[in-house]
This record gives sequence, C-alpha cells and structure tokens, in this order.
Amino acid sequence: MAEQTLPELIADVTGLGTYGVAGEFLAAFLGAFVIGSIMLSYTGVAGPWAKRKITAAFTDRYAVNRIGPFGLLIIVADAVRLLSKELIIPEDVDRPAFDLAPIVLAGSAMLGFAFIPMGSIFGINMQIADPESGLAFVFAIASVATLGLAMAGYASSNKYSFMGMLRAIAQNIAYEIPLVLTAASVVLFAGSLQMSEIVAAQTLGGGTEPLFAIGGLEIPPWFAFVNPFAFVLFVIANLAEVGRNPFDIPEAPTEIVAGYQTEYSSVYFVLMYLGEFLHIFLGGAIGATVFLGGPAGPVLPGFVWFTIKIWAFFLFTQWARSAVPRVRIDQLIDIGWKGMLELSFANLILTAILVGVIV
Amino acid sequence: MSLERPQDTALDAEGDVDPQAILDLLGDRVLDTEEHLNADQSVVVRPDAVEETLLALRDEAGFDHCSCVTAQEYEDRYESIYHLKQYDDPTNEVSVVVPAAKDDPVSESGNAAYRTCDWHEREAYDLVGINYENHPDLKRILLPENWQGHPLSMDYDQDRPQVVTLGEHDNPLKDDHRDSDSDTMFLNIGPHHPATHGVLHVKTVLDGETVADVESDIGYLHRCEEQMAQNGTYRHQIMPYPDRWDYVSAGLLNEYAYARVAEDLADIEVPEYAQVIRTMGAELCRIAAHMLALGTFALDVYGDFTAIFQYAFRDREVVQKILEDLTGQRMMFNYFRLGGVAWDLPEPREDFFELTRDFLDGLPGKLEEYHDLITSNEIFQLRCVDTGILEPEVAKSYGATGPVARASGVDYDVRRDDPYGYYDELDWDVVTEDGKDNYARVLTRMQEVEESAKIIQQCVDLLEEWPEDERTIQSNVPRTLKPENDTETYRAVEAAKGELGIYMRADGTDKPARFKIRSPSFSNLQTLPEMAQGEYIPDLVASLGSLDIVLGEVDR
Amino acid sequence: MATTMKHALDGEKFTVQYPEEAPEVSARFRGVHKFSQERCIWCRQCENVCPNDTIHIVTDDQRQGEEYNLHIGQCIYCRLCEEVCPVDAILLTQNFEFTGDTKDELVYNKEQLKSVPWYKDIDPLESREPDRGAWIGEGEGEIDYQ
Repeated sequence: MAEQTLPELIADVTGLGTYGVAGEFLAAFLGAFVIGSIMLSYTGVAGPWAKRKITAAFTDRYAVNRIGPFGLLIIVADAVRLLSKELIIPEDVDRPAFDLAPIVLAGSAMLGFAFIPMGSIFGINMQIADPESGLAFVFAIASVATLGLAMAGYASSNKYSFMGMLRAIAQNIAYEIPLVLTAASVVLFAGSLQMSEIVAAQTLGGGTEPLFAIGGLEIPPWFAFVNPFAFVLFVIANLAEVGRNPFDIPEAPTEIVAGYQTEYSSVYFVLMYLGEFLHIFLGGAIGATVFLGGPAGPVLPGFVWFTIKIWAFFLFTQWARSAVPRVRIDQLIDIGWKGMLELSFANLILTAILVGVIV
Repeated sequence: MSLERPQDTALDAEGDVDPQAILDLLGDRVLDTEEHLNADQSVVVRPDAVEETLLALRDEAGFDHCSCVTAQEYEDRYESIYHLKQYDDPTNEVSVVVPAAKDDPVSESGNAAYRTCDWHEREAYDLVGINYENHPDLKRILLPENWQGHPLSMDYDQDRPQVVTLGEHDNPLKDDHRDSDSDTMFLNIGPHHPATHGVLHVKTVLDGETVADVESDIGYLHRCEEQMAQNGTYRHQIMPYPDRWDYVSAGLLNEYAYARVAEDLADIEVPEYAQVIRTMGAELCRIAAHMLALGTFALDVYGDFTAIFQYAFRDREVVQKILEDLTGQRMMFNYFRLGGVAWDLPEPREDFFELTRDFLDGLPGKLEEYHDLITSNEIFQLRCVDTGILEPEVAKSYGATGPVARASGVDYDVRRDDPYGYYDELDWDVVTEDGKDNYARVLTRMQEVEESAKIIQQCVDLLEEWPEDERTIQSNVPRTLKPENDTETYRAVEAAKGELGIYMRADGTDKPARFKIRSPSFSNLQTLPEMAQGEYIPDLVASLGSLDIVLGEVDR
Repeated sequence: MATTMKHALDGEKFTVQYPEEAPEVSARFRGVHKFSQERCIWCRQCENVCPNDTIHIVTDDQRQGEEYNLHIGQCIYCRLCEEVCPVDAILLTQNFEFTGDTKDELVYNKEQLKSVPWYKDIDPLESREPDRGAWIGEGEGEIDYQ
C-alpha cells in the first residue's frame, strides 16, 4: 500500500486538487520542483565542494577552505566561473543533437528521482509518483543517459568524442544487464516492482520480521544483508553505469582527453558535469532503495537516512576513484559479458529457487 | 651462444680492445686513424663504406651498442662520428669517423646496422645538414618540416629570425584519406594532451581500438641546447644548462654528465670528498626522478590526479627539501663545478644528516604503500603485465638504456660498467627484471629507488666520518679554462632515464667547438612503435608513460 | 584502498597554508638579487659570467659606474654572478615574493636592487657562511647609504 505522494499532498494543501487534471498537473510540477531543487542542491554541494574535500583528505592536503564557512561559498564561485565562460560551438557539429545532449543527460537523471521513495520528513512523504512498475521505470529512464552520451559523442564531430562515445555505449550496454538482473533478484523477495512496496518489505514493523536480533538490536531485513552477493554485484555494475573508477573509460582523461565531453564548454559543460553527479546520486538512490531499505532507519526521519545513504554511496565512489586503476576497454567488456553476466544470472536463478521453494 | 665469442676478434687478453685488430678487421675501408680521448680506436672510413664497417664491427667485433651519432662541420669538411660500445663492457669503445665533402655532404646511413641511427641521423641531417643515403625516412626531426637551413652548420645566419607558420606545415589530416576503403582512423595524440608527458605529438593510425601504426613527432621543446652550450665558457657558463635537459629534478645527474666529460677533456682531478658528495646528490636526484616517473605512470593508468600521484609528489618534496638545503634550489641546482662541487654540506652538518637519515628511514614504509596501492593491485597488473613488450634484442638495436633496457633483461648500467664518482667503492646492486613489459619497468624503478637509498646511506655515513681538514670540495681549476686544441671525447653517465652522453670537441678557446648531447629519452622514445603496435590505445598511453621520457631531454 | 582511507582519517596535512604561513626555505635558497653600489668595483665579472646576458652594466669612460641593470624575469637564478664577484657586491637573497605587471617592470636598476627586502629578516650570508659579517644590516628594504 502506498502512502500519499508529494503532488497529492500539495494538491490537498493548496486546494489545487479541486481544479481537476490541470490542478493535479500543477501540483505535480510543484512537487517536482521541490525534489529537483533538493537534488540539485545535493549535486551542487557534491561537485565543487565535497569532491574536493574528500580527494584532499585522501591526499593529505588542505582543500577548499578560503571562501565562506568551511569553504562552502566555492559553490557560488564555481557557478559564476563556469557560467561566465564562453560557449564555444565548433563549426561542424550536428546542431540539434549537440545542444540536446547535455539536457538529455542531466534530465534523465532528474527524471529518475521522480520514482524513488525518499522517506518522509516533517510528515511529508517525498515521493513524486509511485506506479506499480516503479523499478522498471527507474531503470528505463536511467538508461536514457546512454542516448545522451551517444548524442554528445557523435554530434561533436571530434575523434576523441567519437571514441569516448563508442566506449561508453559498449560499457553501458554490457553492465546494464547485470544491474537489472541483480536488482530483479532481490525484488523477488519483495514480490512487487512498486518502489514503496520494496521499501516496505525492508522496513521493520507492520508485518515484516527482523532478520535476526543481536542482544536487543534488531537487524532489519535489508536486502543487502539478505543477499550480500547481489549487493556486491549491484555496486560494481553501478560503478560501471555511472562511469566511475575502475570503469571510467568513457571519460579517461589521460587517454582521450575528455571523451564525449571534449567539445563542451560553459553551460553545456555544467549540465553534463551536474548530470554525471546526479547519475551517481541516482545510482546510489536505487541501490539504497533496493538493497539498503531506502529511508529506513532508527530515530532520525526517513528522508535524513536516505540522504545519508546516497551520500555514503557518493563517498564510496570517490574513494574508489582515488585508489583504483581503470581497466582497459576490452578487459571491461570481458568482465561485463563473461563475468558479471553469468554471476548475475546464477544469482537470479538461485534466488528464484530459494524464494519459490522456501518462502 | 657459439663457443667462440665474436668480440674475441677485437679483444686482447684482458678483454680490452686491441686497436690493431680493429684495423685488421676493417681492412681497406679505413682511410686513417684519429686520437679520441675516450675511444680505444678511432677509425676514419670512407663515406660509402659506412654500412659495411658498422656491420662488421657489430657482428664480428661485438660492438652492439651504437651510443651516439655526432655530426659536425669543420672548415674543410663535414664529419659524422659513430660512437660504438659494447653492452657487456662499455669501456670498450670504438669511434667511426666518416668525413663528407663540404659542398655536398653525403654519407651512407648506418641504419642497417643499428636502429639507433634512424633518429640520430635524422637529427644530424636536421641540425647540421649531412645527407644519409639508404636512410628509410630522412626528414627533419626537431625542426618543422619546411625550416630553411641547418642551424649548427657554419653558414647559418644565427641572428636572422625565421618563422614557420602552421599553415605551411604538413597538414596532419591529409593522411586521413590514405586508404579510402580501409577501416583505419588517423588520430593525433597531443601535443596538447594530458598524458603525453610534455609536448609530444604521436601520430597514430587506429583500427578500431587497436593501434596499427605509431609515429612520434618531436621537436616542440627544441631549444638548441647544443648551440647554447657552444656559446658558453667551460668553466662557469655551461653548468646551469644541463639542469634543463631532464628537468624533472634529475638536474644533478645531467650536471654529472657535463662535469665528467669536461674533466676528461681538460684532465682535471676531482677530490674524493667532492666525489662522495656528488654521488650522494646524484642518487637523491635519481630517487626524485623515479618518484615522478611512478606518479605520472599511475596518472596514466589510474586516470587523473589520484592519490598515488599526490603521494609520489609528496615524497618527492622531501627529497627536494634536502636538495634545497644542499644546493640552494629545488630543481635547477647548478651545484657541480668543474673539479668538484660549489659548496660543502650546509652547517650545521648534523641537521643535514638527520634530515637525510629521516628521509631514508621513512622510505621503506612509503615504498610499502606504493606496493600496496600499485604493484599488488590486481587491476593494475591486469593493465600492465604483458603490455608494451620490448624484446632485449630490439632494445639493444635501438640503443635503449636505463630502466627501459634493464626491465627487458639487458644488464647495462654505466655506474657499474664504466665507473665514475664514488660508485665503485660503494656496495650496491644493479636491478634487472625479465618481464619486458610495463609492469617490469615500474618494478625496476621502484627497486632502483631502494638501491639509491642504499648508496645515499653509505655516502652519508662516509661524509659524517670524514676528517675535517681533508674536506676539499673543489680542486684548483683556472677561471678561464682552455683545453688543448683538437681534443675530442665522448663520455656517458647513468642519468635517471638511461645513458646520458656528451661529446665535446675543444678548439683551444674557452668555449666548446662542438657539444653534442646523447639523451637517453631520445633513443628510448624510438622504441615506442615496437612496443605499441598491435596493442590498444590505453596500452599505448601506458607504454609511453612507462618509457618515462622527458621532452626537455628528447628535444633538447 | 585501505591505504587511502588511512590517509584520509589520520588528518595529517602536508601542504602549507600560504600566505598566512610562509614556508621555510633553506639558507642557500636563491631568490632575488640585492646589490650594493657602495661595494661594487665595476669589474664586470658578473656581466661576463652570466649565462644568458641578464646583467647590463654601463660605465662612463673613466670606468665609473652609471647603471647596473638586472632583468630578474630573464635571470635563471644560477648564482654565478654572486660566485665570481670579488667584493660581494651582488648577492641572492631568499626572497621569492616579487611580482610585476609587465615584463619591463622586472628589469631592476641599481636602486631597486638595493632595496630588495630580506625574506623573513634572514640575512642569507650570515646563514650561509657564518663569518662573513660584511652585509649584516644592509638595507632593511629601504634605500640606505649610497
């Protein structure tokens, strides 16, 4: 059973619900605006500030600490700097595709956030929509990013971008399947694709039993604990999907300059940069929902726990980035099609058997 | 190996070169003999018999290392000198001098005998103007393709500026349409590129992600250091320049090369105390240079400025601090002087020793960290093992030296085989690996850091015990040094990247008449096509990183 | 990976918060030059030995010095001029904090060279060779005796 979604709440509170479809639309826009702002603010903090602070901590350096308290105003400074750069568009690019690519990239990530149950705060349930096939929706929308990459790479009419695009497509296709399969395997435990059902199946209370209890501390049945193997596979596939070490081949700055992003400057670059971080957060959000119980957690409001979980995932990607080398493209494809695919299939079949037989 | 070693035909009982045997071997190709300070025998051969001579010396006398090809112009002739050595024993040296006519300088190319000659002769053609017959591709290497004139020849007007615009330059995209029905793509890597270790232009032909052909285009950092050295006095003015060849903190090693050859030319003695300081400084520089090589290789493989790069730089900072205390600068040291060093150790001596010893004590822990992060990382091994293979015979034929050659099993180190400084009195080993791949090169460099640490430890102990009244840092050298007319010599040291050799000819004035630099990265870079053909682009980038070239040295 | 996390958590920093905390340079560090016209005998040794002709001296026909120009942007800081000077008239301080808006501003004449401030009040000669007391107190950044 689903709780009231955010647009419904807005429609009720502001009385827009009485205006029929148009009112619901408006309420939905307002809801999307709220969630979008929150996510963009996370990205804004993550990109210029948190990434630099984390990298500096790993390398024994001071980092942004001059502007503003803890250096947080660097976000403003970076925004001004990036937006005031000259927008250079080379002559030979394919115009509509070139301009639309950053929007597709950033937009697909933002769209994905619409279906994620982010818990409630102050009694407001932060979820925009809750269809019954929510998980399939989210994966489908997140894959649209690959289309954005292809548009960016091909339209740039630059050999480096072209190569980055080819690699990116190969990588994304290869790791999409293990990603979906491992997520699907734990969905078998929940028995439904609806995102809020998946979360509810992992939350204590209201019918779900704890996994086990250690001296008064009840361990909730988070699917990460139930099937850690699937969790590990999912995390690895997620790293490949968002293009982070050890799978950051599409970008590979030391080999093909900036891959598909080479020809982008100023606003377009900001959009792509933000889009990349949004995708990291989206990947973390999916992982948190499917494996880590979404907004579940003691004491603090659900939304706060959700934030903690997606930031933890971001931290993990930064950590991997600082320490792990990248694999070569053919090795990456090997690992994807030969390694991960078999493992995730095996995982799915095993889970299906277990669920069918035991539960 | 056959029972009778080829070099026995030229060697006498002690294993040294028998000059007469060389003359007998070459027969009537020899026009004359000369006296070079370094070579056991210098023969002057006919310009059309070069290939036969070199082949004979290589196959029958065992001189398998063509160290350098010098070209110069005299009043009445041009001359190319092939400095040949043996990898097994580099004290055996033969110089093959090839004169060429003044108005139409043509001589045969030595490329059939040594692949080293490929680029060296291109440079000789570029800078001096000698044409080499049978050369596979004689075009300019350091200067742009349509430069007029040859800068190091006598009739070149030094004061007239010349501007070659890019529009007249060879259009790189022209090659794109070589084969309209093939699937290959032509890609320019660099010169503006995050991973080419400087301004290096690599023209690659790609077949998908596989590299079909690689050609390096160098010369973007060409400052004609040879010319600048020829304009400076021996005593003082040349010494700041070697710092700037391999500028990534291997300055003292380069200065050592110049100090060695100038002291050889002018017959200057160096006091023992100064030799110990020189050795210690040189090995500190080697550690710093290898740290940088490690960091930038990690940069190439790991992508972006990851933690290892930062750690390598942080450790290098400590070395630079020690060198700053000793010499006064962190990079461009200008510390060696002819006859010794500029200054004694800084006062108070105990602080300096403590600083150095602290660094050496911390070094094993840091190397452990690198082993943890790099060499024992499975993904790194997946990337680097069995990529960038360089066979030892190929390495020898290209004249590759230094860690590049030693990682292919070629046991060649100038510090041990042709000793200078205090190296033969200290206890250390030469590191060789058999892997021949990128991984072996990284391992070689890391182990060399440990060996250098051993040397420094021994030097520090020696310096601390040295009696106070015997601490002479510089022998008596006249302020204006004029070596004897018409003396020439070629000497090499083991720089951070390999064998750095300098050929110098004196003509009785206080400035050299010819100053030729044989830089290790120049010969090492020539092996890139051998290493990268048939492999993928990431491997090309990794191979380039593991070659560890410094464009200041390649282009001079 | 554990190594990097250890580095992150141990909290040591290797970098220095410049400009609040000026870094320590060693006593022999080669920075901007300081010139004393009082001591210079106009022998032109420094001009001769400079590897890239950075020093330009102008004297009149009685060999009285009129101008001493040193282009601190072109200088390679090799210290050869200090080394050959017989009377310690030119000296490289440890000061590396100098700026200029154009290249021409970096050509220092003898007045500017005299008033180069010491870095952190360290007299470099004192720290390099303890018994050369000749330069102590010379010029705290203002133009002193001619």
